Amino acid sequence: MPILEARNLTKTFRRPDKASGFKGAVKHLAQRKYKNYTAVDGIDLSIEPGESVAYVGPNGAGKSTTVKLLTGILRPSEGTVRVMGRDPHTERIANAHDIGVLFGQRTQLWWDLPVEESLKLLKHMYGVSDADYKARIARFDELLDLGEFMPALARTLSLGQRMRADLACALIHAPKMVYLDEPTIGLDISVKDRLRAFLRELVDDGTTLLLTSHDLADIEEVCERIVVIDKGAVAYDGPITQLKAHYITTKAVKLFLEEAADVPALELKYPQYEWAAGEAPSEVVVTYESARFTTAEVLGGLTAELSPRDLSLSEPSIEDVIRRLYAGELTK
Amino acid sequence: MASVDVALATISFKRKIAYKSTWIFSVVFGGWSLLAGLAVWNHLIGDGEMGGYDWQAMKAYLIIGFLTSTLAWAGSDWEMANRILDGLVAVDLTKPVDFQRARAGEYIGGMLASVPAALIGTAAAVVLFRPAGPVSPLAAALTAVSLLLIFPLAFGISYLSILTCFVTQRYLGIQWARDTMLAFFSGMMVPLALMPGWLQGVAWSLPFVHFTTTPASIYLGRVGTAGALGLLAAQAAWAVGLWVLGRLIWSQLVKKVTVHGG
Repeated sequence: MPILEARNLTKTFRRPDKASGFKGAVKHLAQRKYKNYTAVDGIDLSIEPGESVAYVGPNGAGKSTTVKLLTGILRPSEGTVRVMGRDPHTERIANAHDIGVLFGQRTQLWWDLPVEESLKLLKHMYGVSDADYKARIARFDELLDLGEFMPALARTLSLGQRMRADLACALIHAPKMVYLDEPTIGLDISVKDRLRAFLRELVDDGTTLLLTSHDLADIEEVCERIVVIDKGAVAYDGPITQLKAHYITTKAVKLFLEEAADVPALELKYPQYEWAAGEAPSEVVVTYESARFTTAEVLGGLTAELSPRDLSLSEPSIEDVIRRLYAGELTK
Repeated sequence: MASVDVALATISFKRKIAYKSTWIFSVVFGGWSLLAGLAVWNHLIGDGEMGGYDWQAMKAYLIIGFLTSTLAWAGSDWEMANRILDGLVAVDLTKPVDFQRARAGEYIGGMLASVPAALIGTAAAVVLFRPAGPVSPLAAALTAVSLLLIFPLAFGISYLSILTCFVTQRYLGIQWARDTMLAFFSGMMVPLALMPGWLQGVAWSLPFVHFTTTPASIYLGRVGTAGALGLLAAQAAWAVGLWVLGRLIWSQLVKKVTVHGG
């Protein structure tokens, strides 16, 4: 039975329809006009317990609105949501006990108090026992180095520290279902790595995770399934490996030659591959269809013929696929 | 009271006293307002009386006004309003607590942070100016009840005013209107007894009157015991009524909550 199920989930907002400039402002004051804007358009989503799902899309695609609908903050204009069998909006308080939410751009720390005070308040809110609280804080300290800034005022934290503290706040009650909306936004690479490792542990422990992020490394490292949305509707829903297998049909090798590469001559000699000049004159990039040729085959022939002094293999990336999905070049 | 209510009130109390300079400034500024009020009314009343207040009674009235205004304006209404306007209300709605009750805990915790300042100021004023005492021990006790009822009453009024932020998307004008009505109709600015009869009628039909006029009237014996109990019943009824009204309005607003952005 799914832990989360949304059917035909739709959210329409009313926005002021206002012309720009002074005239527009005065006209809007006298005669108010509004336009309806559909942020989420008939989304169907089903998540099984223990799944880790990436929910991605371009800016304004409806990711955060979906999270707000799934967490019960917003009421759907149409459609239904059930989280652990409950309507998260009408049964908000009961639902909130079982979910953890992190909005990367909105902190849940009390700004002018030490981090510890915020966590203690959440302990009271969720009715966490003293023993569980201590054990979880010790674990967060081990994985997120929380102890170093527990006594610090929230407003004095760096962004990375703030995000780690917010993550602890979202998980202090060991929720079954966790929603993370842009958890690594603005973080440096070392903090991102630490957060991703923590999230992998969380998923390994059986927590169900829905993650929205613009950072595709977050998605590849933490999630098994990806849901791509665009203009409020689902553009792709399936395993990340399947997305790669289905849409990533070519591989590329960059060869570093001893002399300047003659791309037209290589195109004539090896018409089965695609050739392109590299950044330096002695660099050339060969692209081949992974279904037709193995990497060993390609490299075997080329290294014997061209004797490159070095080479680098481009790993398949979902980044390009998602970019193409956003651009509408690919279909489901 | 559940531990979560106490925890919310405590955290709000701590947030208020975290800003020591603001806290000290409020004591000094509040005391200065009281001194200014005493000087003006001393000049106006002299050895006579106005609206049934002689100088001794007016001193007591003004000190009660200082105490009640310090409490009434000490809540965390701006913090609540800003959370709605900035979209942080989204975070509040992911917590397993009743929204109104949680805000009440925070608000009353903020009010409690002003109690030390209010008590220090009041004690200093009593020692310095020796106002009229309560007409009886019972009147003193009933005045204390009225002062305690200011806590839920202040929350009720502030909560309704911050809920308007969901519609207006601005709080400043609402706050100005509320504070002006509170200062005027409570009798903090001018005792109601000095207002025209029809205006007194308007004031008595509003909840603001119970902030200063009710406790002062009970303390000074301007109403008998039955009248005092009636005023307290009206004050309590307003606190309950505003709470229920807050619930009704929230039940409609929560369906229309809009939080844009990530």
